Amino acid sequence: MIKKTVGCPKCKTHIDIQGNPGETKIITCPKCDTKGKYIFPGEKTKIETPSDSFSIEIENLTKKFKDLTAVNNVSFKVRKGEIFGFLGPNGAGKTTTIKAILGLIHTNSGYIRINGYDIKEQGVKARGSVGYLPERVAFYPNLTPLQTMNFFCELWGVDKSVAKPLIKEVGLEDAMNRKVGNFSKGMVQLLGVAQVMIGKPPVYILDEPMGGLDARWVKTIREKIKKLNEEGATVLFSSHILSEVENICDRVAIINKGKLIAEDTIENLNKYLKIKPRLEISIPGLNGKVPEAVKAVEGVEKVDAENDVLHVICESSSRIKVIKVLEEIGLKIENIKTIEPSLEEAFVKLISTDDGGA
Amino acid sequence: MLGLNFKTIYAIAKKEFLDNIRSKWIILISIIFIILTILSAYVSSGSSDEIFGGFESTVVTLMSIYTILIPIISILLGFSTIAGEAEAGALSVVLSYPVKRVEVLLGKYLGLGSVLAVTPIIGFGFSGIIIAAVIGFEEGLAFIAFIALAIVFGLMYLSLIICFSAAARNRVRAIAAGVGLFFWAMIFGVIVMAIYIGTGGDIVDLMSGQATYPEWLFGSIIFSPGDLNQMAVMRAFGLNQAMGIQIEAPDWMNMPFLLVVQLLWIIIPLILAYFFFKRRDI
Repeated sequence: MIKKTVGCPKCKTHIDIQGNPGETKIITCPKCDTKGKYIFPGEKTKIETPSDSFSIEIENLTKKFKDLTAVNNVSFKVRKGEIFGFLGPNGAGKTTTIKAILGLIHTNSGYIRINGYDIKEQGVKARGSVGYLPERVAFYPNLTPLQTMNFFCELWGVDKSVAKPLIKEVGLEDAMNRKVGNFSKGMVQLLGVAQVMIGKPPVYILDEPMGGLDARWVKTIREKIKKLNEEGATVLFSSHILSEVENICDRVAIINKGKLIAEDTIENLNKYLKIKPRLEISIPGLNGKVPEAVKAVEGVEKVDAENDVLHVICESSSRIKVIKVLEEIGLKIENIKTIEPSLEEAFVKLISTDDGGA
Repeated sequence: MLGLNFKTIYAIAKKEFLDNIRSKWIILISIIFIILTILSAYVSSGSSDEIFGGFESTVVTLMSIYTILIPIISILLGFSTIAGEAEAGALSVVLSYPVKRVEVLLGKYLGLGSVLAVTPIIGFGFSGIIIAAVIGFEEGLAFIAFIALAIVFGLMYLSLIICFSAAARNRVRAIAAGVGLFFWAMIFGVIVMAIYIGTGGDIVDLMSGQATYPEWLFGSIIFSPGDLNQMAVMRAFGLNQAMGIQIEAPDWMNMPFLLVVQLLWIIIPLILAYFFFKRRDI
């Protein structure tokens, strides 16, 4: 049995409640009759034995900044060897969570382990297995990239001979002896990517790694992430570029207003959210007109027409019926494409549901 | 010792040194020191036939200048080291490495302290060699002690400004605290004198040597790094006059005592800096 004191959001009265781990308790404020619910934390309040299967384990993480709860009871686990996408709108709590994982900020509650090491108790060992690229990366303006990399080599305790090849790998060899203070934002970001690879850590945490980079470098970084993963590294990366996450992530977690609202594969998220695939049917002479008969087919959710292409969102079982109806009304189908639901659709649906929207 | 990784401390100190030694401020102030020292030596020669006065009279002339310039160097070097780097994002990269915050703090202090030491060593040292070449090495050891004390003076201010940088939310607040500290040092003597007059002391008698300094007035200098340091310089040269005023310090205010108190001015703010830095969200 867990005892807890909660505050009424309306009149701020303190209310004592009791419940079992995982239990949802409906609470009525004795003073103003406001109703609310409280979910008691799950059975495990502490990660007793680190699992060999996970690189990052977070349980019941909460971080408050004065009155603002930036991260609210967040729990998720990143499996060894996977690329894990961490998504959320601006201000959702992604960077705060990442900083908490690394012990850069102090948390109000929760437990975090990296490769089995508790970040609070064994911070040096935990960070010794992570490479981190922050969202707003900055270095020392009067140092050259080589001096910067040599410095980080010394911090990692690795030979400085790795510095030059890494600088070349990210395409900064021509700027090797220029001061970092004269670099563009993209160049600083690339140097950040080089520094993250210095110690060849088993875990990489990348906060918006493609931010501020042009398409050429986005591709380079995407390939780097894939390569690191192929070599066995675990990658957690946050991004607002959903197509990037979709392309390379095995699983994703979505955070909104400090709360984790989903953690799964993109496929499972779409199944769970019942997001249907979209048919793109090319019909010469359609001219943007939507055939009424298609709308009437059972299982069809939405029909749109754009020039000679008909877009139909429907149950998988209704696809054949749609095609039959089109043929029956005399339309000649030139081509049919099935577009699977994207992460963007799942993301938008989850966020809007969480915000109280449709 | 304390589980510290000295390689980490050295790496951070070296980085701080390399990043800051190229600062235009440091180069400029070193040049200013060279010019001012040679000018002071020239002015202190007075009407004698020599081009330069002795080291003692040069230092007396220099004292009021270096008590302004050295705190400025310390503040410029240290105000941004934690607050500024946290704001810009560089500190989050460093602290994501397998390092302890105490190691980062010590590395920063040693690195910035080394940069700080360069200015008086080059500025005073270079001009000291020129002066010694002209007038000889008499009192040269006291002048070396003066350079060392100038470094200690800078280290006291560096400790204080790093403490402010660790506690301040951003670099603007850190520099504001530094400016406040600078002005506090400027008005400290005036406050002490106001207390002296307010408690029945006569400033005219004091200046003319008709009244002796009460011991509490000497004791008050432990709250002012600048005055402490000036007293130590006077002890190093065996001086008992400052700005034409006869000052007979009590025996207990000897060099070891002055050095210990200055050391405390270095250590205590550094401990406080660690306290703030450890609790800081980066």
